[in-house]
Amino acid sequence: MIEFDLDLQRGNFQLHASLSSEASVIGLFGPSGSGKSTLLSLLTGSLQPQHGRIVVDGRCLLDTARGINIPVHQRRIGMVYQEGRLFPHLNVRHNLSYGLQLLKPAQRRFKLDDIVALLELGPLLEQRPRQLSGGEQQRVALGRALLAAPQLLLLDEPMAALDDRLKAQILPFLRRIKDETGVPMLYVSHALHEILALTQHIAVMQAGRLLAHGDAYAVLGMEHVLPLTQSLGLENLLKLQLLPSPQESGCSMALCGQQQVLLPHVEAAAGSEISVVIPASSIALARQRVVGISIQNQLHGTIRAIRTHDQRALLSIDVGAELLVEITEKSRQDMGLQCGDSVYCLFKTQAIRLLGHQRKTESIHAGPAQVSASQ
Amino acid sequence: MDWLYFTAAETAALLLSIKVALWCTVISLIPGVATGWLLARKDFPGKPLLDSLVHLPLVLPPVVPGYLLLVLLGSQGIIGQWLQQQFGISLAFNWKGAVIASALMAFPLMVRAVRLAIMQIDTRLETAASTLGASKLRVFLSITLPLAAPGILTGLILAFSRSLGEFGATITFVGNIEGETRTLPLAIYTYTQVPGGDAQAMKLVVLSVLLALAALFISDALERRAARHLASSSHD
Repeated sequence: MIEFDLDLQRGNFQLHASLSSEASVIGLFGPSGSGKSTLLSLLTGSLQPQHGRIVVDGRCLLDTARGINIPVHQRRIGMVYQEGRLFPHLNVRHNLSYGLQLLKPAQRRFKLDDIVALLELGPLLEQRPRQLSGGEQQRVALGRALLAAPQLLLLDEPMAALDDRLKAQILPFLRRIKDETGVPMLYVSHALHEILALTQHIAVMQAGRLLAHGDAYAVLGMEHVLPLTQSLGLENLLKLQLLPSPQESGCSMALCGQQQVLLPHVEAAAGSEISVVIPASSIALARQRVVGISIQNQLHGTIRAIRTHDQRALLSIDVGAELLVEITEKSRQDMGLQCGDSVYCLFKTQAIRLLGHQRKTESIHAGPAQVSASQ
Repeated sequence: MDWLYFTAAETAALLLSIKVALWCTVISLIPGVATGWLLARKDFPGKPLLDSLVHLPLVLPPVVPGYLLLVLLGSQGIIGQWLQQQFGISLAFNWKGAVIASALMAFPLMVRAVRLAIMQIDTRLETAASTLGASKLRVFLSITLPLAAPGILTGLILAFSRSLGEFGATITFVGNIEGETRTLPLAIYTYTQVPGGDAQAMKLVVLSVLLALAALFISDALERRAARHLASSSHD
């Protein structure tokens, strides 16, 4: 449970943000410079607002009206930064236990060994931060923040400095933290697919304001949010079920709902759940299945919703998962596309980006399609 | 003249120099770190003035700080009389005064080294430490201080070396008393003033050079070690 209402005026920059949410993980999404990091600094207490109130789990951390202002080190708000910020003079073990050893035994929530096991840090314990890769540093930073037993964990673009391959390595750990620790999280990013890989609950920030928050699909479809997501480029995040790959093709096959998708080769066992990103503008629509074309993926679906903005049409299509497709308004009118129409969604194998995979066999169905935008 | 034989006076000068330099280093540590931190991190109304005052000994003729010390801390000085009455401490014309004089002269070097080291520390690491539950004091002790350690070490070595070479302020404040305030530079000066003292002066000059080389060698080794430590642990 997090609740805040903050006002900050610094030079020309003005921030006004208020939110009250029960969601265990909230994704805070917005373009660079929208005030996301400033908001986090206000929450941790390293920056002071002119007016404001912060309540986490019923504990009031700040209330300017009542003169309450808990100092940073007593707020119990954990922070994971883009650049790790591991202490260079301490090895991994001492970095991890830095916050832990400051806690009274009754306040401790996790044991060092448990977090080391959860984040697979065992082999790194005696190493110095400099010897670690970017992804390893972020894992240590996550562990260090968790061991300080935060009531709320803030993640400030923790994967922004990592390439797709390293992101794919971190993502399962973030999911584990979400599923196994129960620590509420506020995950900040300007890449929506990262957020959607963790949560459906998003808050959108622009120019120092929180525009909206709630279910991702509802929020992104809002009239005043749409221009923002279109300018950032929309992406679909799909969770697919990997099938045994055909030997000769050099590609992998996966299931999206009941339909097959051909994607670039994935180094994972059949049955694994994989997350892939497909830009909404990389998908073409056709009334019938197209023959004599190089595009392999043609998913059949039904148009669920259409929104138009600035000569662009955004269509939500149910292909067994929800897929967002962006075409020009002219194309839509020429084809006469309406809600309820049956269409084929065409996209090239090369348009698919692999984000991560997880060994998981219990679920057969692909997750619900998710809308995503990235820079 | 036997180069390996030291007279009692020569031995006394050597040991006194080392004693004064060590004490100078010890008493500079806390004020030096505190002032360096203050100048590196804090903004306050009198900051430019404090900065200038700290650096004055670096640009003034050493005899000026020495004379001011004499006026303030001497047996007739305001602070000197107070110290004498309240604590029975006298700094005039004894080795403690020599420590004060060389510490004052070495102070700007110490502060500059510490300030530079602290300014180079990424304050975001300190912010991270505070979100992990560390109070300001703990952040300073567990993050700032260890990361500034190589710079503090450099400052201490500079203070030690500066103290070994101190002449003007010392002779002005505490005079040139054998066995009490006559450090190596003062002893050399004394021998050069006496007819036939050139050989003895030369002996002490050689000794000074050896001592300086030893100090430089040790400081170099320490700095290398610190640099290696930092290189193997610095965050990129």
